[in-house]
Amino acid sequence: MTPMPATSAERWLRRFAREWRTALRITAISLRARTQYRGDFIAALAMGLAWQTSIFVFATVILTRFPGLGGWTSGGVLLIVAIRMLSHGGMVLVFNSLIMIPYIVQQGALDGYLIRPMPVYRQILLYTFPLNALGDSFSALLLFAFAITRVHLAWTPLMALYLVAAVIGGVLLEAAIQTLVSTLAFRFTIPIAVFMWFDRMIATFGNYPFSILPLAARAFLTYLLPVAFVAYLPAAVLTGRVASTGVPEWLAYASPAVGPLLYILARYAWYRALRHYESVGG
Amino acid sequence: MVPQASPPNEWPLTRLRSSLLPWRGMRVTLITELTQPVRYVTQLTMVVTQLALTYWLWRALYAGVRMSAGLDVTQATSYALLGVLYLQFRSVDRWSNGDTMVQLMFEGTIAYWFIRPVSPRRWYLIRMCGDLAYGAVWALVAYLACRAAGAIAGPPSLAAGGAALLTLALGLVITYYLQVVVDLMCFWSTVNDSAVVAVQFASSLLSGAFAPLWFFPGWFQRANEFLPFQSTLNVPLSLYVGRLPVSALPGQLAVQAAWCASLALFTWWLWRRAAARVTVLGG
Repeated sequence: MTPMPATSAERWLRRFAREWRTALRITAISLRARTQYRGDFIAALAMGLAWQTSIFVFATVILTRFPGLGGWTSGGVLLIVAIRMLSHGGMVLVFNSLIMIPYIVQQGALDGYLIRPMPVYRQILLYTFPLNALGDSFSALLLFAFAITRVHLAWTPLMALYLVAAVIGGVLLEAAIQTLVSTLAFRFTIPIAVFMWFDRMIATFGNYPFSILPLAARAFLTYLLPVAFVAYLPAAVLTGRVASTGVPEWLAYASPAVGPLLYILARYAWYRALRHYESVGG
Repeated sequence: MVPQASPPNEWPLTRLRSSLLPWRGMRVTLITELTQPVRYVTQLTMVVTQLALTYWLWRALYAGVRMSAGLDVTQATSYALLGVLYLQFRSVDRWSNGDTMVQLMFEGTIAYWFIRPVSPRRWYLIRMCGDLAYGAVWALVAYLACRAAGAIAGPPSLAAGGAALLTLALGLVITYYLQVVVDLMCFWSTVNDSAVVAVQFASSLLSGAFAPLWFFPGWFQRANEFLPFQSTLNVPLSLYVGRLPVSALPGQLAVQAAWCASLALFTWWLWRRAAARVTVLGG
């Protein structure tokens, strides 16, 4: 009996699995390479842990010194911090190598990426293993668990699903911003500080209920640099404070979808920008 | 009789001129930045946005509170905004240009530092002074703009302003030495990326650049007193906003001087050890 020819769906699945295997193998090799420098390895882990913990410590200090931020309970504010931190941990784990693009372009390594049988974007994501992400994600998980215990909400399966969607949406939203910023590197020598700036903006201003800010700042952080969609709006939905956000109700409920949508747009813009890439020396 | 190239009384002048010549290297930072306008345009955008949001955030936090951690709204806002200026202008991004010490090590071009007529230690100092001067000009312009807009208040007295400036100068010396220590690490560890980021983060958080240290818990502040970071920025800013009285100046200066002296000694020793360890790839 002759075997049945594989359907296109089966072929696609096989190819998908093969590509994932390759990506995971490259990741494992990168991790092994990074662990060869033990001092650097330990410093990166400690760095991730210290960074996230300090943000959390500061947020709790602010909560005790300035109680009743915009009418939010301390549990509600902690939920904002928790969602933001977990989203950030996930983003660093997968998309951290985007900040290496200026260096990759400058070294001329991108020319090699263009002729390899793997999408250029994926090759950049696999450029190096982000050691700091281990510390970031581990501390984010711990602090997330702590914050969840402090938020006195009657959790339902739908709310839990919404929370998961919000975290994934936050990951993709941060990734979309970094992807868009990285397109600049194809044309200009941009400093790494630009990537760090967005990181810091989200870390600094993404932890508070935006209802305390004046209208101009709220509008900026919602519609221009959409930090509000990372954690503030999902937390407002979960805690039943949508009315105080000042954004249309449907938009607040749809906030986890903003990240994926922006990410798709950013990927499109990234590949458009790549077409205009000229290697060093023209 | 062989004619002399220059009269003997001009020798000291010539020597002085030739010793000052390497300081023209300070221009490298300015030239690099000016040839890539996107660098300062993005930095300008970043600073304006960060300043505006920080101002609004601290004003909003104090909406229902008159005093917190010994700071009123004007003091806290001024402190936080000056911290933003410090964060944005304390260093220049060299990594994107492949000009950090670890990158020079990787490429082997660090060897040139050791064969030039200027010692590597001096060349490093010259480049850092170039970075500092470039950042200081931007910071001064931004500071004056913030003063004109009324976002940053002036110091409570002339003496407080002078004390803040004096301690800021010593704080910058400490920051310089800390950077030397981190950069020289790559002579031993080959890779120092994480250490550089870790020290940048630690110096930002523990110096008070992210947020006024007065808001952190007591244990955090006490532990921080044993580290050099808080004397780099927290002390000058606290003197500037009047959270620390000018009478505290001698004690703070003594602490800063002790850190400067010990770090200077340590980095002098590190440079000597580093010179013996220069290895260009391939041996």
